[in-house]
Amino acid sequence: MSDPVDIMLVTSCRKGRVDPEIYDLIAFGRRLQALGAGPMGVWILGEDVNEAAREIAHGTGVPVTGLQDGELANYVNEAFGAMSAREIESVDPTYVCVAHTSRGWEWAPALAARIDAGCICAVDGLVETRGRLCFQRDVYGGKAKGLYTSSATTTVITVQPGAFKFEPAAHSIAPNAVTLKNTPCTVKRTRYLGLKQGVSDTSRITEAPIIVAVGNGIGDFENMALIHRLAGSLPGAAVAGTRIVCDRGWLGYNGQVGVTGASVSPDLYLACGISGASQHVTGMRGSGFVIAINTDPHAPMFNEADICIVENVIHFIPLLEDACARLAGNAEQDFIDLKTLRR
Amino acid sequence: MKILVCVKQVPHIEGVAVKQDNNKMATLEAFGPPRINRFDEFAVEQAVRFKETLTGVHVDVITVGPEPAAQVLKRALGMGADSGIHLLTSTDADPGPEAVSAWIAQFAGPRGYELILCGSMSEDCMTGQVGPMTAALLNLPYATQVMEIQPDRNLAGVSVEREIEGGAREMVFIRLPALLALQPGINRPRYPSLSNLLRANKQGLEIIPTQTLAQGKVNIRRSGFVLPAHERASQLITGSAVEKAAQTAEIMKAKGLI
Repeated sequence: MSDPVDIMLVTSCRKGRVDPEIYDLIAFGRRLQALGAGPMGVWILGEDVNEAAREIAHGTGVPVTGLQDGELANYVNEAFGAMSAREIESVDPTYVCVAHTSRGWEWAPALAARIDAGCICAVDGLVETRGRLCFQRDVYGGKAKGLYTSSATTTVITVQPGAFKFEPAAHSIAPNAVTLKNTPCTVKRTRYLGLKQGVSDTSRITEAPIIVAVGNGIGDFENMALIHRLAGSLPGAAVAGTRIVCDRGWLGYNGQVGVTGASVSPDLYLACGISGASQHVTGMRGSGFVIAINTDPHAPMFNEADICIVENVIHFIPLLEDACARLAGNAEQDFIDLKTLRR
Repeated sequence: MKILVCVKQVPHIEGVAVKQDNNKMATLEAFGPPRINRFDEFAVEQAVRFKETLTGVHVDVITVGPEPAAQVLKRALGMGADSGIHLLTSTDADPGPEAVSAWIAQFAGPRGYELILCGSMSEDCMTGQVGPMTAALLNLPYATQVMEIQPDRNLAGVSVEREIEGGAREMVFIRLPALLALQPGINRPRYPSLSNLLRANKQGLEIIPTQTLAQGKVNIRRSGFVLPAHERASQLITGSAVEKAAQTAEIMKAKGLI
């Protein structure tokens, strides 16, 4: 009999595949252990989880429990909540960790309320202050991080994907045990109907070397012309935007950058009037060089930028367009001069 | 059909200034008028649309907060909701999702709502927990990040599309009564109408002090704020606007970007 599990990591398995976010959860679990938490274990929910469970147990050395039932072939919050609640009751862990995805964020808080546990969502940092474990998460659109403590016997935590980096062991590790349970699960009030693909082709922005991205700071639909004109003057540039700009109908959803839109990695990301909430920033972190323009000096977008300009985009963009044109003009001039010289 | 919409008053986020204090912690100061949580406006709009398209719909709006929070109820009534319920807190401090969901569930439980709507999260605390936690406490089926709702003909359930990563959508059928947390963009929230606002001012609100409700256990507490880390150089360009533009263009050229 192994030590009782203190950290329960819950993941799912669709069509036999391992959800890569489990590795972030394991990295998070290791940080908890470094701060005094006990042993961890992975719980994987799905229709047929054998292969995926072994992959995790062999790759990480963490023991894995597989919960299998036909009802778990697709994600339904009712089923995930019921299955996890049953396991938590017998395992009695201090922490239950779930990836902060559209699914985890849906079922984990309900699970917590159901079992009278604490719940902290979208955790992206862990610090110990005055002997207390503090869970850090974005508040106020990312302008600040809130530090949260829990006094619950069990705390459910959703962990931001990418916030904790998984380091594969340098030496070979002993594979850990896999336990498979076929646990019947009844879903009564919610029926899964299927998956619908996302918005149309986003290649216009995913393949552009330069993105002029626009946020709520643009203020009005009429000002979008400024953005389009600037993009038109920069070779290969495409216009993209935040969720709110798309919601307002100022830009099509195929131009949306962020969690529910496209992930982009251009050479240059020019963020115009974007506050910089994590839902947006997640989609542009891979960019080469980032310039941010915003009137609000506290805009979190500035933390994600190489160059920060505190200006109103509406006034600044025409100035930037002029300045770029002047430089580009000079370049052309140099080129002509060189040719004249050669002659 | 009885619908309950949960709304929250939040500070003007763009006007929130964050300062580092001398203890590695940060303090927040809000400038500008508080407003209705942007995400919740979509829930009010959705409820009002149901009222306009289905027969016999009554829309209640509920908020938890100190006295000034009544403003968001007035706004929702101005948009077309029928009546407002204010769970009045005695302090300005945010009670957190555990207390808020427990109070809303206590209120809603005996009133037999067929549908409870809320926004997917608040702009200030950003927990997104009140919806799912309220659903669990009321033992209701639920969905979050909802982008499409189609009630079936006899109103026994709703077909729902919930938005997931990359903009794909999960389609589920949920039996009523249920709770749905809506994703922004599901509709275009209307402005309050003058006639509705006048009615709202006249009709008053149902006010329930939260002290009169059962106080559940609060497990999670916020101990403070810190400043977010810089992920990149975050070099501030200074000078006049024209100088800043020239400098920026120079940097873009030096980097081979133009």
